Amino acid sequence: MRRKIALTTRGIKMTTKTTNNAVSRRKALLGLGAGAGALATTGLMPGAMGFAQAQSSAPIKIGFQKHATGIGAAYGRWYDATTTAAVQRINDGGGINGRPVEIVTEDDGTDPSRGAEALEKFEKLHGCDIAFGTLFSHVVIGSAPRAAELKLPYFVVSEGHHVASGMLNRYTLQPGITDVKSQVVSMAPFIADNLGKKVTMIFPDFAFGHDHRDFFTQAIEAQGGEVVAKIAIPPTETSFTRYFPSIPRETEVIYHVMVGPAVLTFVKEMGEFFGPSRPELFGFIDSLEAVGIDSPGLEFLEGSYFWEGMPRHVQDGQSAFEKTYRAAVGCDDRGASLDDPADVSTYAHMFGCWETLNVIKAGMEAADYQGPQDRTKLIEAVEAMSDMPESLDHPQGAKRFNGKTHQVFGQQFISKVTEGKLVVEHVATIEDGLYEDEVDYTTQSF
Amino acid sequence: MMRRSNLLFVAIAAALMARPGPATAHPAEQGFVLLLPTTAYTIAGTLSVFASMLLMLMLRHGALARFFSSRPFRTGAPLVKMDLAHLSSLFATVVLFGLISIGFAGPTDPQSNLMPLVFWTVFWIAVFVIQGTLFDIWRWINPWRGLAYYLFGDSDGLARLPKWCAAWPAVILFALFQNFMLADVAPNDPPRLAYVISWYWAINFAGVIVFGAKPWLNQVECITVMFNLLSRLRPITSGRIGMPGWQAVTEAPLDTSRAVFCLLLLAAGSFDGLNETFWWLDQLGINPLEFPGRSAVYWPNLIGLYLVLLILVIIYTIAIWVGIAAVRFVHPQHRLRLSDMFRSFAITLLPIGLGYHFAHYYVTFLVQIRVTLATLADPFALGWNLFGLNAVKVTTGFLAQADTVKIIWLTQAGAVVLSHVWAVLLGHRIAEKNCTTPKEVIMLQLGVSILMIFYTIFGLWLLASPKGG
Repeated sequence: MRRKIALTTRGIKMTTKTTNNAVSRRKALLGLGAGAGALATTGLMPGAMGFAQAQSSAPIKIGFQKHATGIGAAYGRWYDATTTAAVQRINDGGGINGRPVEIVTEDDGTDPSRGAEALEKFEKLHGCDIAFGTLFSHVVIGSAPRAAELKLPYFVVSEGHHVASGMLNRYTLQPGITDVKSQVVSMAPFIADNLGKKVTMIFPDFAFGHDHRDFFTQAIEAQGGEVVAKIAIPPTETSFTRYFPSIPRETEVIYHVMVGPAVLTFVKEMGEFFGPSRPELFGFIDSLEAVGIDSPGLEFLEGSYFWEGMPRHVQDGQSAFEKTYRAAVGCDDRGASLDDPADVSTYAHMFGCWETLNVIKAGMEAADYQGPQDRTKLIEAVEAMSDMPESLDHPQGAKRFNGKTHQVFGQQFISKVTEGKLVVEHVATIEDGLYEDEVDYTTQSF
Repeated sequence: MMRRSNLLFVAIAAALMARPGPATAHPAEQGFVLLLPTTAYTIAGTLSVFASMLLMLMLRHGALARFFSSRPFRTGAPLVKMDLAHLSSLFATVVLFGLISIGFAGPTDPQSNLMPLVFWTVFWIAVFVIQGTLFDIWRWINPWRGLAYYLFGDSDGLARLPKWCAAWPAVILFALFQNFMLADVAPNDPPRLAYVISWYWAINFAGVIVFGAKPWLNQVECITVMFNLLSRLRPITSGRIGMPGWQAVTEAPLDTSRAVFCLLLLAAGSFDGLNETFWWLDQLGINPLEFPGRSAVYWPNLIGLYLVLLILVIIYTIAIWVGIAAVRFVHPQHRLRLSDMFRSFAITLLPIGLGYHFAHYYVTFLVQIRVTLATLADPFALGWNLFGLNAVKVTTGFLAQADTVKIIWLTQAGAVVLSHVWAVLLGHRIAEKNCTTPKEVIMLQLGVSILMIFYTIFGLWLLASPKGG
């Protein structure tokens, strides 16, 4: 390709002074053919690119699998901002083992097959040391097998239970964000003790909703409560009025995890159905992540409760770590962009990128990581981790890593909507979210 | 297992992001759209189009001839402008090569690489709309014309394109381009896009060398063919000024290949909107809230595109046939040929295609143009701040506010409705040209009018539909 460009630009220079038939068309065609040949053979072709073999000794390269396009792109943007901020901080502090960190971004298109391709590019094209990303479970699940094939450590920030469930492999770790099972399980004690024991669940009728249904049903029963109705809503539904009459009268708490574009409609119609007297409401902020809680139509949520991975709004007694982190990722007191107060971030989740990168740093330092030959030492070093105190490395709070399941555990927040602000009412402890190990990855060979 | 996260997002983000012009959309936007009284808006919009049809009925025969007349438009010294256009076109070639280089060697993140950003945002959205409304921008940035002019002057090509092929090669190339845009797994991937565009440029330049710039660009190179068609919609075109579309009605009928090109343009635009709706994904058995990615819908998108084209061609042909039959019903001796009318009315679909294009990409453009400007500050991700553009912040808060979302939606819907009213006017004038009595004029448009009413409803339904793919 470059040869072709050179040829043509030379042609331009030669001929700009004349206007008529300055160049033989046949010669030009030959020149173009040569350029095209170069294009086809120099390897400047997606998929057939000559993958770089050189492994630079200077920066530590971290391949960032980004949802730059596809349905995860809104998350991708904030994950990107958080990742950039975290790396900036690491580099300002001297990098890892004295080497600067370089982020190599590849778009996964929020698509499992492209996710796997991205890992391959990290390994073969960019010479990355490790891979890092990503949110959507199907991309993680589609990518993890390739990570194992490539023997490329793959640090994910997806919250899925697929890591701890044993579905993946030894090369895939989730050390920076808790999984959905832990989150749901840890909500049950607060709900049973404070909101009510008779719960009606309203959830989208697919795997995401089913996870909530299954994990929570079990957890609330363990607290002496019960799920009195399970209302599954088809994913393509955009009006919910006909489902509300199915809510039993005895219901004390409605547990809702609706997602998708119709969430605002769901809240509005639920408000119209119940009027001023309603049961307690408990939801996951996922429904309204990146949406202003004071948006018109959400007034009905005043006084209701939400799980938050990390409190979006600044709380009384904010830690210095949280304050520094919030400024570093460019968010204001309400979790919105410092450049645009209406642009609310994905605050409840994106800390996972920050914390994961800090775990990677700690792991590489513990393993004295020098290059790809030390990848297994890095994994073993992370597997050996356990308690991580609250710090600027872990601004969301203390963590406990389970080396066997490759999953981290941490505190969870329950916030109450109070005058348009998410005010933390309860902090579920690490212990609240623990559950029996379902796998021991350390028994798997590299 | 499904990811546990997110998703008010999914659908809204999807509406913009599965597109080749990936947008950093905001999750709230579509949520607010669903809260708007879009059904009432759709009824109002459709009634507006219907009212424009009724208004046409009241016009005396031939009244639109004056409406669509044109007069010369002086633009200064045309010779100087011609040379400037060639020079500018040559410059565009250099810029294109620069973009291709950035595509291959620049940042791997499509949101930080000027190749996909400029191509899908500036070119495919902005240039398209400018070409159909303001001026002949393509003449200034066509990356083959200037280079060919300076290299070969006015010399003849080595061979001649057969006349019979008309613009059919362009139809085929445009279909392939739509395949790439709608079905390819990663049309945004910088090296992939750079590779495709390199080949597209090289093949077409080879064609220019062999067959000469004018025949090749006007018959084979699909972007030029498309932009030449869109040019007919502008008020100022070919050195004359008139009501938008004056040239379209003056030069109707098109040849069959260009008529089909118009249908393809509208079909592709329609499918571009349709394929992300909950409805379409539901037909495929795909849960829009856990959209599996473009790689999972390659074949459905490919087949869907041609299916929509086929359906549109059939419906359009039936609509034309109904009009001809209705004319024959009132005046049995007036026999109009189906092929003539097919070619005559095809251009009336173009404003609708343009309106859809604007409406469909409006939000994407509002977000992505900021990304593009911000990236222009630092094309190679080296920490530069060219032109001070680093100051451009990419935020999407305006999509998270009910008021602005409403204005945006009504702007989109307004574009769709206006484009149909525009099409009604063009259609009426074309009917006048083919009929001798007011009654015939009405009858000839019977089928096409019904089609336009339904297309208005369809277009507004697309805007209002929840999206997830």
